[in-house]
Amino acid sequence: MAPDRGTFRNPYHVEAPPGAEGWESMYPSYLLFGPEMRDRDEQKLWFFDQMHNPEPVYPFDLMMPESWLVSLNQYTTRVWNLPTALGIEQRIVNGYLYLSPNVIDDPAMIAEREPVFQQRARHYFENWDEIYDNWVTKATDCIDRLKSIRFEPLAEREPAETVLSARGTTTAFDLLTRYSRLLENMHEMAYYHFEMLNLAYGAYLTFLEFCRSHFPAITDDLVARMVAGIEVILYRPDAELRRLAARAVELGVGDAIKAPGEPAAVISELRRSPAGLQWLQELDQVKDPWFYYSTGAGYCHANRAWIDDLRPPFAALRDYVSRVERNEVLSRPLEGLRRERERLSQGYRGLLDDHEATAFDNLLALVRQVFPFVENHNFYVEHWHHSIFFNKARDLGAVIVAGGLLDRDDDIFYLHRYEVYSLLYEMEARWAVGVPTRGEVTWRELIARRRQMYAALEAWRPPAALGVPPDKVTEPITVTLFGINTDTINRWLAAESRDSADNEFRGLAASPGVAEGIARVVRQVDELSLLVDGEILVCPLTAPSWSIVFARIAAAVSDGGGIMSHAAIVSREYQLPAVVATGLGTEIVRTGDRLRVDGDTGVVTILARASDPAGQAGHADRADQQAAAAAAGQQAGAAAAAGQQAGAAADTAGTST
Amino acid sequence: MTRPRGGHDRLLLPRYVVATADCRAEHVGEVGGKAAGLGSLLRAGQRVPGSFVIAASAFAEYVQSRAAGPGGAASQQRQAAGEEVRRSIERSYAALGGRHGADIPVAVRSSATIEDSADASCAGQFMTFLGARGADEVIGKVEECWISAFAPHLESYRSQRGIAEAGQSVAVIVQELVDARVSGVMFTQHPRTADRSLVVIESSYGLGEAVVGGEVSPDLFEVNKITGQVTQRSLGSKAAEHRLPTDGRLVQRRPVEAARREAWSITDEEIAALLAMATELESALGRGLDVEWAIGTVESDGPGESLFALQVRPITAEPAHRARGAAPAGSGIDLILGRLSGRILDGGAP
Repeated sequence: MAPDRGTFRNPYHVEAPPGAEGWESMYPSYLLFGPEMRDRDEQKLWFFDQMHNPEPVYPFDLMMPESWLVSLNQYTTRVWNLPTALGIEQRIVNGYLYLSPNVIDDPAMIAEREPVFQQRARHYFENWDEIYDNWVTKATDCIDRLKSIRFEPLAEREPAETVLSARGTTTAFDLLTRYSRLLENMHEMAYYHFEMLNLAYGAYLTFLEFCRSHFPAITDDLVARMVAGIEVILYRPDAELRRLAARAVELGVGDAIKAPGEPAAVISELRRSPAGLQWLQELDQVKDPWFYYSTGAGYCHANRAWIDDLRPPFAALRDYVSRVERNEVLSRPLEGLRRERERLSQGYRGLLDDHEATAFDNLLALVRQVFPFVENHNFYVEHWHHSIFFNKARDLGAVIVAGGLLDRDDDIFYLHRYEVYSLLYEMEARWAVGVPTRGEVTWRELIARRRQMYAALEAWRPPAALGVPPDKVTEPITVTLFGINTDTINRWLAAESRDSADNEFRGLAASPGVAEGIARVVRQVDELSLLVDGEILVCPLTAPSWSIVFARIAAAVSDGGGIMSHAAIVSREYQLPAVVATGLGTEIVRTGDRLRVDGDTGVVTILARASDPAGQAGHADRADQQAAAAAAGQQAGAAAAAGQQAGAAADTAGTST
Repeated sequence: MTRPRGGHDRLLLPRYVVATADCRAEHVGEVGGKAAGLGSLLRAGQRVPGSFVIAASAFAEYVQSRAAGPGGAASQQRQAAGEEVRRSIERSYAALGGRHGADIPVAVRSSATIEDSADASCAGQFMTFLGARGADEVIGKVEECWISAFAPHLESYRSQRGIAEAGQSVAVIVQELVDARVSGVMFTQHPRTADRSLVVIESSYGLGEAVVGGEVSPDLFEVNKITGQVTQRSLGSKAAEHRLPTDGRLVQRRPVEAARREAWSITDEEIAALLAMATELESALGRGLDVEWAIGTVESDGPGESLFALQVRPITAEPAHRARGAAPAGSGIDLILGRLSGRILDGGAP
């Protein structure tokens, strides 16, 4: 380790934010920094996983990271025997998830693991398509079994059926066994999640490095565009909305969909006409599975899927209906995308010598073969499966409320999954004995205290990294998925020591182009409604289901994310400049700042602060326009026009100083 | 007597004056490297200012005629040959004026016939005169080129060693002068990293001398050949420019005013045109080229601006990855398993 490179804050020196003292009680001890491993742990790099868990992890939601902790790492360490890496460790710091990769640098150990790895990984690569087909079968079967798990409140009396069928066990027993099945099902899906992912990322990384070594200036984005699939399942939900918007115009119900109001009101209006009923029927046909589309990364129960909250898809539908009415073509230009992909890859290939071109061809062909898994697993796992999983947990929460131990369906998310076992046992015992227990007070007190602590943790801003950075970061998952490499670490170190007068910060150039505009810092999905057309989205992380936003923003900047993160993929899809993995973007930028986002170089420049006269004037104009647009009935077209005018006003204000 | 003499010529050209389009690499001994470069630009379909080349054989005649001294039959023969050279230059110069037919301003440059132009013995041999006008002035400048090549070797000449035999010889290029609004240098791969996907452009105001001579700090652009995107830009100070005055005589150096210094010297459209030139040249001449270019007008063609290619030569730097070892062989699976086993592909650092 180079001594002059600097270090991040020592994880053992991080204090609990006021009001969150004792937060550690919400998490299992094996995920906390403790004195036993201090000598080792404080000498490692720990980076904040804002990609999957930008918020403090709810104790129940910790199921997700804990599931991947075992599945991903078993594949790396025990199944594949990756010669150069052990697993990725997790720690919780003030509720936030931090990760630390482990490399193997002992040549003897690498040599010992290599033949095992080569044989096993080769089997998967050589049989990839067949294994992937089976994977889809396994994943959908796992989802089907998850769907079939039902939680029902314990009735006053055991149903007569138990007696008449002489089954022996009771519905209370079912509750516990079904809960076990729920957890097992989550674990099972986590294994499928990583069954092929590590290898696919490794393949991608190999191609990326090959391109970089031959074309030092190549951006990650260009490599991704050479590889990216054209018909990717992840784009299906949005594609279905576009199709439904076109159908709505055909059926003459476009105005009803564009009408202001909650989706429920829009739906009841549609029910009044045969055409509206027809459209609703078509909507219902696509909901399963395409509306199992989380508004987050799929790791937090609070980010509901479209199927549970129709506001995001209906907002998108309004916009799409307006665009169809303006005769815009909404379908993705598949032929154009295919040509673009070939133009890029043939362009780079043409610059290589013959023997290099052969290696390029071989790598690209294999990476394109394995990459659909990377792109599609996201829908199967994070969106479809995880959304159903959280809904099942919510159902169980309602059962506990009915059982008298909690007050709200979502109280369950403040309990670790093993605490829920304990609670379910107590509930079964109460039901069995037939008299109240002290748990009806103690569980409620615990939840109340945890809600307070959680709110205090939410207000804390986790640093991008803790501990001591290694010389270089090479672990494939860390590099490919999290976008963390030696450069990232150096940028973060620079950002930590940055001068407050500095008006520039850097991230990964994730999607090309340059845009200027007013910043909107969005930390939570529900803040998206504040966004005005033409603004620049600055967020911890974006999720693909924020598609409605991507159609309206000028550029995206995210604290986290790698080149294969959702923000990067969707920005390229929408042809917006995007800079990801800035580390501290949401800390440095304030809503109302005028920014320039350079998606070619990864530089974000603050042109004017919101408190500066120029920035403020621009922003005030926007607010007025927004209010005016809202008063005018919030027609999507009007809002877009207002956004453009406001943009022009802000530009004028910006140049007049 | 139209045949050149001189011991080392592999090629016998029909005249003392050669059409630039006929100058090829194998004629370097007779027309020089610069002329061969110009010839390759023409054959690659580039717009090049009109020019002709006075071959090294004419220089040899000139040297011999000086050696013969006045009087005698040999002297008369030499003088006849000198007349022939002179008339060829006059005719070719008149032809350069094209339909305008006027005495257009030209650059007169020597074109080294020796491969290694950095050789110390050639120092001072390569002269450039910008802005000569009229046949007499042009011939005068051609002679100056000859003299400048000739002067360092006066001693050897006096000791009766023929210039041609000593391997010292010079060709001269006469080329219509572009009144360049902006000009510069372009590398068709990155000069430092040897990244072939990049075109690097340096540009500054006025004639190229300011950039080539390192006199000003130019604007710098890096352009991705495949996407056409400008991936880097840096603004140069561009403090001075060399321009051709309206009377076309004596190129002048003048300061560039602040507003132009702070603006980009070329537009995105012009960058795109340069990129197209780079791509065309690479497909015609091979990879890794160093190109001099200018955007401006030529008198023979009226007031409309064009992009001109002025010179081309290969870049010699080896790509970084090839310097580190051979490209990996094997199937995609082999390559990936190798990388994941900790072997680094082809020198690329993770």
